[in-house]
Amino acid sequence: MSLVRAERRRFFKRRLTRWVFPIGVLLLVTIASILFAFHSKPTPEARARGEATAEAMYQDQVREYERYKRECGDKCNDGGWTGPQRSDFRAEHYMPPSFDFKAQYGELFLVWAAIMAMVAFLLGASFVGAEWASGSMMNLLTWRPKRMKVLGTKLTVMLLSVAGLSIVALGIWTGILWAAGELRGTTEGLTPGVWQSFGLSALRGLGMILLFAALGFGLASIGRHTGLALGAALAVVIVGQVGLTILFQMIRVPFWEQYLVPIHIFAWMNKEMKLVDYSSPEMVCDTAGNCNAPELLITWQDSGSIALGLVVVVLAVAFWQMRRRDIS
Amino acid sequence: MTAVLEIQGLRKTYRARGGPRRALDGFEMYVEAGQVHGFLGPNGSGKTTTLRTLLGLIKPDSGEMRILGHELPRLLPEVVGKVGAIVESPQFFGHFTARDTLSLLADAGNLPQSRVDWALELVGLRERAKERVKTYSLGMKQRLAVASALLKQPKLLILDEPANGLDPGGIREMRDMMATLSAGGMTVVLSSHILGEIQLICDSVTIISLGRRVAAGPVAEVLQAHSSGQLRVALETPADLSAAAQVLVAGGFDLQAHEDYLIMSGVDKPALVARLLAERQLYVSELTPVTADLEDVFLELTGTAPVPGQVRSVDQSVRPELTPQNGVGA
Ligand SMILES: Nc1ncnc2c1ncn2[C@@H]1O[C@H](COP(=O)(O)OP(=O)(O)O)[C@@H](O)[C@H]1O
Ligand SMILES: [Mg+2]
Repeated sequence: MSLVRAERRRFFKRRLTRWVFPIGVLLLVTIASILFAFHSKPTPEARARGEATAEAMYQDQVREYERYKRECGDKCNDGGWTGPQRSDFRAEHYMPPSFDFKAQYGELFLVWAAIMAMVAFLLGASFVGAEWASGSMMNLLTWRPKRMKVLGTKLTVMLLSVAGLSIVALGIWTGILWAAGELRGTTEGLTPGVWQSFGLSALRGLGMILLFAALGFGLASIGRHTGLALGAALAVVIVGQVGLTILFQMIRVPFWEQYLVPIHIFAWMNKEMKLVDYSSPEMVCDTAGNCNAPELLITWQDSGSIALGLVVVVLAVAFWQMRRRDIS
Repeated sequence: MTAVLEIQGLRKTYRARGGPRRALDGFEMYVEAGQVHGFLGPNGSGKTTTLRTLLGLIKPDSGEMRILGHELPRLLPEVVGKVGAIVESPQFFGHFTARDTLSLLADAGNLPQSRVDWALELVGLRERAKERVKTYSLGMKQRLAVASALLKQPKLLILDEPANGLDPGGIREMRDMMATLSAGGMTVVLSSHILGEIQLICDSVTIISLGRRVAAGPVAEVLQAHSSGQLRVALETPADLSAAAQVLVAGGFDLQAHEDYLIMSGVDKPALVARLLAERQLYVSELTPVTADLEDVFLELTGTAPVPGQVRSVDQSVRPELTPQNGVGA
C-alpha cells in the first residue's frame, strides 16, 4: 500500500499532470462554451420572428412556383411535384439554434473521449518514461526489488488516476452542456433509458481513454523513454495512417478505411460504423433486386477487441522485459 | 565476526555491441560487520557491476551472494530494507525538490516521513531542500544520493564512488560521516578509484582488477603483504657510497645504487646494515624503510601505474591468475 501512496503522490506532483490535464480541460471548456454561446433559448419574440420568416419564405416559394407554372403552361415537366408545402417551412429553421441536451449530449461524448485519450496517452507514457530516463526507476528498484509489483503498481495507479481525471473532465463538460440545455435550449425528454445510454457511452469513452493510457505506458516502458511512445504515435499517424491511405487508394484495397484508427474510434463510440466501397465494380443485390455498393459494418465489439488485443500485447512485452532485463 | 556481505565466484558477461564483455570473472568479496570497507579498482574493473548485481539490478551468470546471511537474489526482498545503496551517482527526477524526492522514497519504503528531514540534515542539504534537484550542483546531487541511502537507517550502506564531484571539504565531511555511521554500528562499503580517501577511513579493503579480486583484507595487512621491504640508505659522506655498495654486496645484500643513496631489498634487520658499514668507517646518515601506501599497492596490483611516454587504455590492467592465495585474510 505504501508504494501505491508514493506512486499516487508522484502522479499528481508531476509537472506534466499539472499542465496537460488543465490544458485538456481548457480545450473541453472552450468547445462547450462555444456550443453554449451559439445556441439560444426560443423566446416568444424569436419564435414569432421565425414564424414570420417561415411564412414569408413559403409565400416567396409559392410565388416562384406559380410564375414557373404560368411560363411553361402545359409543357411543364415537374415529375408530379405539387408545389411547396407549408409544413416544410418551420419556424425553427429561421431561429437561432437552441441546445437540445437529449439529442446533442450523446453525440458529443466523442469529443470528451478523444481529448482525454490524448491527455491519457501522454500522461501514461511520461509517467513511466521519465522514470526510466531519469534513473529514478533504478533507484526505486533498490528499495522495492519486486519488479513485477513495481511496474504493476505504477500501471494500476496511473490508470486509476487517469480515470479519476477523466471523470472530473466529464463532469465539467457535462456541467457546461447541461447549462447550455437549461439556459440555451431544453433538457426535456431525459427518460431513464436515455440516461442509461449516456452511461454506456461514458463507459465506452472511459474504456478508450484507459486503453490509450495503457498503450502509452507500455510503449514508453519498452523503450525506457517517453519519446519512444510519442515517436511510435507519430509514426502510426504519419506512416500508418497518411501513408496507408495513399497506398491503399492507389492499389484499390477494398474497405481500406478499416485500417484507420479514427474509423475504429467512431465505431467504438457510436456503436458501429458502416463503410461503403463505392469504387467496387461489383454491386451487391438483394432478393428484391435492389442493388447497392458493397458494405462493411464495423461494430464496437470489433474495434474494441482489436484495440484491447493490441494493448495486451504491448503490456505483455513491457512486463516480460521488465522481468528479465539488466537495469543499468 | 560475522560477514555482512559475502560474494563468491561471481561472474557476469555483458552482451554488448562489439561482442560479449566479461565484467566479473570469479569475483569474491567479504565484508565483516561494523567495518568501513574500501572497494578499490580502476575504471571499468567491475565495481559498479558487482554492486548492481548485489542489488538485484543485474542478473549474474553464476556465483553466490549473501547479505546479512540472506541468499541473493532470492531473498533480496527480505533484506533490502536493511541495505541503503547508491549505485553510480544516481539520477533523480529533476523537477522534484530534494524533500519531495526523499519523501516519495520514504513512502515507497513505508518509512516515517520524519526521516526525511533527519537525512537532509545529516548530509547538509536541509537549507536547500525546497529547491528543485535540477538546480543542484554535482556535489549536492551526490549528497542527496547519500541521504536517500541513509533514509532507511540501513545496517549495510553501499556507496558507489561517493566522493565523485565533492569538493575537498565535502570529501572530508563525507569521511567524518562514514566514521560516525560506522561507530554507530553501520557497516559501510565504499567503492572508489581514488585511494587517498579510502586509506584514511577504511578498516579493510578489497582490490579488484578486470573482474577479479587481486587483494583483500585489513588495510595494514594488505600494505604489509605488498610492501617492498626496501630500505633506503644514505651516508654522511656521499663520496663513500660506492664503497658502501661494495661492502653490502659482499655481505650478500641486494641493492640498487642511486645518485646519493642506496635502495636495499629483503633486509630483515636494518641495524645489521648500520653495523656492517660502521665496521668499515662508513657512517650512515639515513636508514629508513621505504613504506608503501595503498596507492602504490593498488598501482602495482592492478598494473595501472603510469609509464612515461605510454598511454594506457582502460582495459589494460593486470589479470591475476585465479589462485586461492590471492588476497589476504579472506
Ligand atoms: N550495460 C553494460 N553493457 C555492456 N558493458 C558494460 C555495461 N556496464 C558495464 N560494462 C562493462 O563492464 C566493465 C565493468 O564496468 P563497471 O562495473 O561499470 O566498472 P567500474 O564501476 O569498476 O568502473 C567495463 O568494461 C564496462 O565497459
Ligand atoms: Mg563504477
